Amino acid sequence: MRPPIAQMVRDRVHGGVVLSTLALVVFGGVMVWAATLTMTGHVAMVQRQVLGVAVGLLALAVMWVLDYQVLKAWTGPLMVALSLLIISPRIPGLGASVAGATSWLQIAGVRLFQPSEPAKLLFIVVLAAAIAEYGGKIDTRRDVLRIAGFAALPLALILLQPDLGTGLVFVAIASGMLLVGGLKARWFTALALAGVLLVGALFGVNALLVSATGNTDGVLIKAYQVDRLLVFVDPTRDPKGAGYNLAQSKIAIGSGGLTGAGLGMGSQSRLNFIPERHTDFIFSVLGEQLGFAGAVMLLALYLALLASALSVSASSRDLFGALIAAGLISMWAFQILENVGMTIGMMPITGIPLPFMSYGSSFMVTNLASVGILLSIWSRRYGTTTT
Amino acid sequence: MTTFRQSLKGRFAVLGVVVLVVLGALTARLWGMQVLSGSTFAAAAEGNRIREVTLPAARGRILDVRGRSLVTNRPVMAVTAQATVSEDATLVARLSAVIAVPAADIATKLASYKQQRLAPRLLKVDVPLQAASYLVEHSADFPGIAVEESAVRVYPGGSLAAHVLGYTGEISEDQLGSGALPDAGIGDVVGKSGVEASYETVLQGDKGFRRFEVDNQGRVRTMLAEGAPRAGRDIRLTINRDVQAVAEKALADAIAEAHRQGFTKAKAGAAVVLDVNTGGVIAMASAPTYDPSVFLSGISQPDWAQLNAKSSEYPLNNRAIMAAYPPASTFKAIVAMAGLQTGLIAPSTSFNCSGFWTGFGKQWGKWCWNHAGHGWENLHGAITQSCDGYFYNVGKRFYLAKGEKLQDFARTMGLGSKLGIDLSGEVSGRVPDIAWKKAFNKNYPEYQQWLPGDTVNMAIGQGDLLVTPLQLASAYATLANGGRVLRPHVLDAVLGPDGTASVVTSVTVVSDPKLSASNMATLRRALVGATTVGTGRGSFAGFPVSVAGKTGTAQVKGKDDYALFACYAPASAPKYSVVVIVEQGGHGGSVAGPAARQILSKLFGKKYRTIHTVDVSR
Repeated sequence: MRPPIAQMVRDRVHGGVVLSTLALVVFGGVMVWAATLTMTGHVAMVQRQVLGVAVGLLALAVMWVLDYQVLKAWTGPLMVALSLLIISPRIPGLGASVAGATSWLQIAGVRLFQPSEPAKLLFIVVLAAAIAEYGGKIDTRRDVLRIAGFAALPLALILLQPDLGTGLVFVAIASGMLLVGGLKARWFTALALAGVLLVGALFGVNALLVSATGNTDGVLIKAYQVDRLLVFVDPTRDPKGAGYNLAQSKIAIGSGGLTGAGLGMGSQSRLNFIPERHTDFIFSVLGEQLGFAGAVMLLALYLALLASALSVSASSRDLFGALIAAGLISMWAFQILENVGMTIGMMPITGIPLPFMSYGSSFMVTNLASVGILLSIWSRRYGTTTT
Repeated sequence: MTTFRQSLKGRFAVLGVVVLVVLGALTARLWGMQVLSGSTFAAAAEGNRIREVTLPAARGRILDVRGRSLVTNRPVMAVTAQATVSEDATLVARLSAVIAVPAADIATKLASYKQQRLAPRLLKVDVPLQAASYLVEHSADFPGIAVEESAVRVYPGGSLAAHVLGYTGEISEDQLGSGALPDAGIGDVVGKSGVEASYETVLQGDKGFRRFEVDNQGRVRTMLAEGAPRAGRDIRLTINRDVQAVAEKALADAIAEAHRQGFTKAKAGAAVVLDVNTGGVIAMASAPTYDPSVFLSGISQPDWAQLNAKSSEYPLNNRAIMAAYPPASTFKAIVAMAGLQTGLIAPSTSFNCSGFWTGFGKQWGKWCWNHAGHGWENLHGAITQSCDGYFYNVGKRFYLAKGEKLQDFARTMGLGSKLGIDLSGEVSGRVPDIAWKKAFNKNYPEYQQWLPGDTVNMAIGQGDLLVTPLQLASAYATLANGGRVLRPHVLDAVLGPDGTASVVTSVTVVSDPKLSASNMATLRRALVGATTVGTGRGSFAGFPVSVAGKTGTAQVKGKDDYALFACYAPASAPKYSVVVIVEQGGHGGSVAGPAARQILSKLFGKKYRTIHTVDVSR
């Protein structure tokens, strides 16, 4: 006997997830509109963002309907797909690089999407499948090494692109999932230590290569990335160069005050003082135009989404679903921390967009698809596990 | 089936706490920035958005007493640059080629100034149109560099009255820091000396402004506000351009005459013409002089060094007010008046000049300039012949009298202190007395005692007495005008926008020595005698206007004699006092007297033919 409609909806729809997502999507659309108001191609950008939302909602529906447990069986092909996605911009005829930072996948000259965005989602799924194998307890050196090696492959590939921003997201995702996946504290310490040593070695080798080759742009780490880190340590350094973005962003947000200059207003946004104001620095626009009240409203919506995701994770019928949800929480939380943090000088500047807010359809589609998976996990929380 | 959920509970809690900490930290930071420090950031945003351009105000003109131009303006293009331009060496090099200013000079100008770090620096004014339009057309290649409208001073008379008018130049760091010109900013052209400096606040006008909203590239989006500049006021001086020109020529001719007479070290001097009834300066010349236009586009280092070198006799100094000289025999008129006013002598008081005066004993004997002696003579004869012996005796009477009556009188005549002329740099001169000598020789006790010879020397205008040419001219004006010391001034009136005088300088009495009419008449007759039958007769032979004057020849240690002449005219109804001093020019009657006649000729519209005369008096 089919359950009544109301029962079906109650089973499948997580109110917190759906409402916070919808609110964020609307909020983001308004902010993209406001940020691009005085930019050339304003209408086209808003249209493209709306299209991204439409495609994203479609992806959300597909992922919702699809039983996420199916993904577990596809781990092998997904791993291959993930690797291909990451290296696709490097494949002749497929890649395109915009401004040296964002990489696009393009076929026959038509830009399709930024492969780094869906790669985050694939990474979560693949890693969830791997960690779920251990049943919530990872404590032997052999297990730790296997998991670490599994996660390290895509991480290494993304860092070699080089895409430091996405690499950091991968690290955050892996950390959150290993936490939920049962990695003991001492192994966390060991991995963190290894990571620090690795990064140190990276900088050392880079410095050696720079002095050996005379390539001042940097070999393993780009010179601009070093600049950004130095500016983070000392914001007064290079006020017209790398420090400029940070200074202008802080001025914008700070000048917003309690209630902001008003939507579409604000001299920092209007007169181009905020760089990349519709993408990476959209929070600066929000801060200037809507003030502390608007910023807190956004952070409250994020809290609602993350809390809902946590409840999905905790309600998952299996560890695989719980891990995916934990990965998504980690991904979003880190991106929020990094993006908002960089606009107010709490974090170094990296090219990480703000979920549901930043202009960019690949990013929007990925985020909405992620919500679809959350809902898929939620919908199937009462079913039987396959493991 | 629920086992893994149980074991995961703690881990979810950790994840939840991490999320709360992240969002909480962001919220706290935003509270600090937006609510607590919001106004600071708002001010920074305004600073980003608003650009203000100042519009220079036309500087007021300087006119002579008849409204003829002494200084006017000419519109020019000026090139300014942001200080950050110095970071781009190739840009500086390209700019240097376009505006023809050495790259090193550009670097110096960009590096100057601690104040107003962000204000553009003035690199060059009066840029040729071709260079200016090149910069405008290629503005994209010259970031941080701007071409602005400006104006420079024009001097229709060249170096005429340069010392009175003064020169202008870019405001210095000291001037900016002093706070004396609160409205001034970097790159402003301000008066540096003379009238340009004295009346800076009148001449400069009020700058206008345009306030723009700009984008991050500095492109103007909208104009927010505008204030039109208000031009500076024109000012009219008491200087008469024609008399000034003659005074300068007379001074130059006097120096040439000194050379002709063998006084080849003569290079410098001063001439002053005062209106005895108002204190207005009709002419004020100082030699050597300079061309104020060398300062227009920023004076070059070699030019500046040249103007300040000892060998060039400091042409920037206005000797009429900045140099103090021994007045020598020109001071005898004041000593005579002092004697008459104090009753120490009468017009009939007579002394016998033997050529060697021994009034304080043989060991303190002093020569008259005429070693043969003048014999018995009264005051009139002594002034006419400039007899030293007579005035040694007068000096002795002052020494023996109680108090310092000679010094006191000299001070009431305006000597020994600034007269307060409306030009900067005036010096006080010196009226020596007991207290001064003691203080002056404070490290040499053996020289501190005031000696009889000090008073006696002073009675012939020598010793430690020093006066400026202006003070001497003022003192003679006082002898002429009924006995008032008037504040000398060069400003006649500040003119309103319609050209009418809105502020007129009033006659100010600085001091009143209360000269008696009969004493003035006695002295006038004696001074007229000096120019008709006495030491000045060579200079004034045949001059149609009666002149009351006195020659002077000052002895200065280690130098040739200084030539002086001081007078007022017409003697019967005085209008002008004239003083001429030529440093190391020899005798007053040979060099300074003819120069004074040349100036008086112009004042009274008489023809002047060069006079060569020799006078050996002192």
